[in-house]
Amino acid sequence: MERLRRPSAKEQASRQDGTTRHNSREQQRCNEGSDFDSTNGQDDNERGVRKEIRSKYRDLIDSVHRNREDLLSPSNNKLTEVLEEADKLFVNVRETSEAVLDSKFVVVATDLNDEKASQMRDEDSALDLTAFAEHLLTFMGLNRLESDGEEQSGDQIDGYLPSDAWHRLARRAEDCFRTAPTFRYMLGSFHAEPPPPKQRIERQKRPPGKEAKRIMPTQLKKMEEAEQEATEKEVERILACLKRYHQDDPSSPIPYYEFVIDPDSFSRTIENMFHTSFLIRDGLAQICLDQDKLPNIAPVEEVGMEIPVDAVGSDNRNASIVSISPKIWKELIDTFDIRDAMIPPLNNQ
Amino acid sequence: MSQKKRLSKTETSSPSEQRQSSTSGAVCEDEDAMFTQPSTSQVQRSLEKLSPSQVDQKAAEVVKYILVKDQKKIPMRRADLVKHVIKEYRNVYPEIMKRVAHTFDQVFGLKLVNTDTKNQSYILINKLEATAGAPSFNSVDPKMGLLFVVLSVIFMKKGVARESLMWNMLGKLGINPIKQHEEFGDVKKVITDEFVRQRYLEYVPIPHTEPPQHNFLWGPRAEVEVSKAKILQFVAELHDRDPQSWKHQYTEAHSSQDSQASSSSQR
Repeated sequence: MERLRRPSAKEQASRQDGTTRHNSREQQRCNEGSDFDSTNGQDDNERGVRKEIRSKYRDLIDSVHRNREDLLSPSNNKLTEVLEEADKLFVNVRETSEAVLDSKFVVVATDLNDEKASQMRDEDSALDLTAFAEHLLTFMGLNRLESDGEEQSGDQIDGYLPSDAWHRLARRAEDCFRTAPTFRYMLGSFHAEPPPPKQRIERQKRPPGKEAKRIMPTQLKKMEEAEQEATEKEVERILACLKRYHQDDPSSPIPYYEFVIDPDSFSRTIENMFHTSFLIRDGLAQICLDQDKLPNIAPVEEVGMEIPVDAVGSDNRNASIVSISPKIWKELIDTFDIRDAMIPPLNNQ
Repeated sequence: MSQKKRLSKTETSSPSEQRQSSTSGAVCEDEDAMFTQPSTSQVQRSLEKLSPSQVDQKAAEVVKYILVKDQKKIPMRRADLVKHVIKEYRNVYPEIMKRVAHTFDQVFGLKLVNTDTKNQSYILINKLEATAGAPSFNSVDPKMGLLFVVLSVIFMKKGVARESLMWNMLGKLGINPIKQHEEFGDVKKVITDEFVRQRYLEYVPIPHTEPPQHNFLWGPRAEVEVSKAKILQFVAELHDRDPQSWKHQYTEAHSSQDSQASSSSQR
């Protein structure tokens, strides 16, 4: 089907081309084509040959696309040469896929021929783009002498184009356009462009803000942890102190006030009382009143060394509040004649 | 929204109008529903319910909207006009647009042109002829130079130019589609996107091409805004030739100029 239609399509194409030489070729090719119809089927097994034909067709179509402008140029016969090449290939066409490629080529070639023919019809009036470009460049103020001074890599301009070249062209071309003048505020307005940059600035600002927010809670957590840890450490240190005094002299009780009071610092005294209360709460130390109703403190021994229940009394869950003021603190220091703190202050603080 | 519905219900009386107001009240995705023009009698009836100053006020808003929108030279679509400005006055749309066109004509010396009768989009063109060499009050956009080159190549190639041919031509002027241009930036985008959206150019794929190739044609804006005769005159000037030496182009330019002239004589 394709093959039958093909010669006529090509003939038409060549007629548009207007070269009689080509026409005769077409005629010849037609005859060849019909000759091969009769010998069809003899070389069916030549897969390699088929493949080669297909790839040659593809190359041909490809080269036609690539060299389009060259082929269209009225000054050469390249289009005829390409058609002749296709004729040679067509001699061996047997299968549908090859015929499809051939017809594809014909479509491309016909299209080219059409364009070339339309050029020929009024060759004198056709616009030579190269000349047009040259004239435009001249109008835009191209300085051809300075071509070496300014390196324009890749650009095909041979010379130096002034920076207002396009403005110059636009100003002259303006009267071809009946463009409505655009609306502007006399004192300016929002420029049409600003929004994107503004967003960019916001985006840049945001991330640090987020980080700062994120850092805040983690910092707080760490502080809490540190405080808790400090408390725990201090409690343990005081327990160690208490145990040491107890071991030094297990028989004599340790008076509570003498233990906690620091004669040099009221605030350290408060801290000591605070930390000692943890020892009592956790059952690591106990406070009992002696004959003078003064509190004594003693560590609770671990396993098996528990103080008899009756010594503490049945209500061992008593909670008591010790209040102290600077005045009382001073009185206590005088009364008990405290010279040194039993709990050494932390030096490193 | 509810207020709008209530408003349109009080305005309407006949069942047919009720149907129309319900479709226009919905989100206007359906283009066909959007462009059902109310009949003249419907417009008349709706107009009676509005004071002349209300309609004038709305028309003035549309004028302002179009002037601001025109800065980018992208056509104004009817759908956008209705959605952003006209809103509940959609029943008297034809009357509003008539007054808007009149204002542009009489006050601004501009002509409001409907470039797309199917989807209704409008552009503004200048009614006053530019005179060559006259001092220009507007700063010149260098893109107009680029546009001139593209349009003139298409025109000189009788209305159609291959994309490859266009880039070949522009390459000679130092413009490369894959390189940033110091004046135009992404030139390929300017030509195949910006000019196309402004409707100066049509960028149509060529059938049977793999990879797809495109043709450039004059867009509807170029057809009404750009003078072919003046393009030809400038091209001839550049070549130092008589415009008449391009017979085909000369005939086309002057036949279209006649039609332009006849339309402008109606002013």
